[in-house]
Amino acid sequence: MQRLRYATLAVITILLAVFPVLKPEVYYLSFTFSVFMYVILAASWNFIGGYTGYLSFGHAAFFGIGAFATAKMAAVFDLTPAMTILATIPAGVLAAIVALIVGYPCLKIRGPYFAVVTLCFAFVVDLAVKNIELLGGAEGLWMKTMDFPEQMSRSIMYEVMLVLMIITLAVSWWLGRSRFGAGLTAIRADEEVAETMGVPTARLKIQAFVLSAFFPGIAGGLFAYYLTYIHPDVVFNVNISILIVLMAMFGGGGTWLGPIIGAVILTVVNEGLSTFAQAEIARIIYGALFIIVTIFMPNGIIDFFRKKNR
Amino acid sequence: MRRFTRNRPGPNNVDAVLVTQSLISGIMMGMVYALLSVGFSLTWGVMHVIHISHAAFGLLGAYLAYSLLEYLGIDPVVSAALSAPLLFITACGVYQLLIKPITRAKEVIVASMILTFGLAIILENVMVLIWKADPRIMTPVYASGALIVGPFYFQYPHLVGFGLSLVGITAIYLFLKKTYTGMAVRAAWQQPEAAQLYGVNLYRISMITFALAVSTAGAGGIGLALLNSFEPHSHNLWLIYLFLVVIVGGVGNVVGTALAGLLIGVVTGLSMAFLPFQWVNLVTFGLLMVFLVFRPHGLFTEGV
Repeated sequence: MQRLRYATLAVITILLAVFPVLKPEVYYLSFTFSVFMYVILAASWNFIGGYTGYLSFGHAAFFGIGAFATAKMAAVFDLTPAMTILATIPAGVLAAIVALIVGYPCLKIRGPYFAVVTLCFAFVVDLAVKNIELLGGAEGLWMKTMDFPEQMSRSIMYEVMLVLMIITLAVSWWLGRSRFGAGLTAIRADEEVAETMGVPTARLKIQAFVLSAFFPGIAGGLFAYYLTYIHPDVVFNVNISILIVLMAMFGGGGTWLGPIIGAVILTVVNEGLSTFAQAEIARIIYGALFIIVTIFMPNGIIDFFRKKNR
Repeated sequence: MRRFTRNRPGPNNVDAVLVTQSLISGIMMGMVYALLSVGFSLTWGVMHVIHISHAAFGLLGAYLAYSLLEYLGIDPVVSAALSAPLLFITACGVYQLLIKPITRAKEVIVASMILTFGLAIILENVMVLIWKADPRIMTPVYASGALIVGPFYFQYPHLVGFGLSLVGITAIYLFLKKTYTGMAVRAAWQQPEAAQLYGVNLYRISMITFALAVSTAGAGGIGLALLNSFEPHSHNLWLIYLFLVVIVGGVGNVVGTALAGLLIGVVTGLSMAFLPFQWVNLVTFGLLMVFLVFRPHGLFTEGV
């Protein structure tokens, strides 16, 4: 059974990796790219939101910080495409450092208060970036495009995002069965009890928060390079923050599979709706989806099907 | 967006009139924030439901009043009185259909946030479909008039918004203090189990609280529409103010919410007078973050 599962995962990974070789239309590459991106965002949000139970509504901030850091580095140092892609790693580190600074005071507060403080944090970062001339202010930043044909450059970005997704998911999977992950789950279940049992709650929370900011930072950098133009309204959009939370909760927080399912379904539904329906109608159906899911599957899709099988 | 046309002197020629004027406009604005927030605070405190679409219902009230004014010439204050029962009934339906099923979920707060976020998206887009996405301004007959007292001026719409909010808040306060149902709401907030033992029907109380909250949101939305222009996605910004007011005032605390509304109105009023416009929201959000970190349970820890 276990072996079968590994085999399935390997097959899916290989299929995804060879997909660009088939020379699909750029639309499909772009679409899969954004699915990967949302899987990364939802899965890394899950470290703090799902396993630890601290709902961060400000993850777009880390995504945006990564995007702006990468764009700025590429412009200042005049980086080659390969170096720009590598520059997303320090950008992710920057996002993680910001998470460390913000997380220290913020992780002391709990429940909805934490959710609101992170939401506010995202707004503050957004407004601050808009007011900093150096970062393009309200006009945004342009990046140099790759000197390859479109098909080629899109395929490269696709593969890079795929690698990042696999790494994120591996970390997420490891988290589910490590001592660290067990500590986080204990915090979610009951923080006082965990503290009494000798779980270093303050340290674990910070570590989880920093880790969950690192991957969105990198993903933000890759996204910036993919679009070659970034604007604060796009990368710091509060809807991204909320969408990340919804994807993870929709699939089922605190499991490694949940965010994947949530991100894939919601991205596909969103794309399908915006293609086939009027924008407002699409949004209304989208909103109704959240209501239906919360009423009928309050603990996520995964939980819903597990219960059915029992 | 009337207020942007005002001259804004730099910090070096601060004068007493300007400070007082912005204090007074801040207090007026704050009272409206308070009316908009009081219901949000009650639903959160009594039902443990964070009603994300609260501000969207407020905006719906504002749009209803706008249409009544444009097509039938009905004054916004009358519309506030008309929309309150309408929203009350709507909210009862919303409670029965959507909120009640999730009150048994493992994590009510999270579930309610996601569900009402979906509801907010629906409401926002319905409003876009009906009223289009352009910004609107409420223009009652007295819109351009102002009361001038010495060096100060008070625009009539602001005064009306302030008065409406004052009446609304007082009504809620008296309802909670004096009526039997109001006392049951307070009991359900303070000691849900004990209240149930004494024969309080928690579902009924929750429904009343929720419906009352939504109808005050409608009145608050009308008040805010008298002060500012509004568009279908304005409720997102209003929501941030709701959180700010409720957290500073203490969840479930009516008097605290009113005081916090005034405080925040004054702070935004002053920062609008002395800071470039784009920094005003930065100040507000920064302030909220500081509050959440240092005083997450509000400035006023006393009961309702």
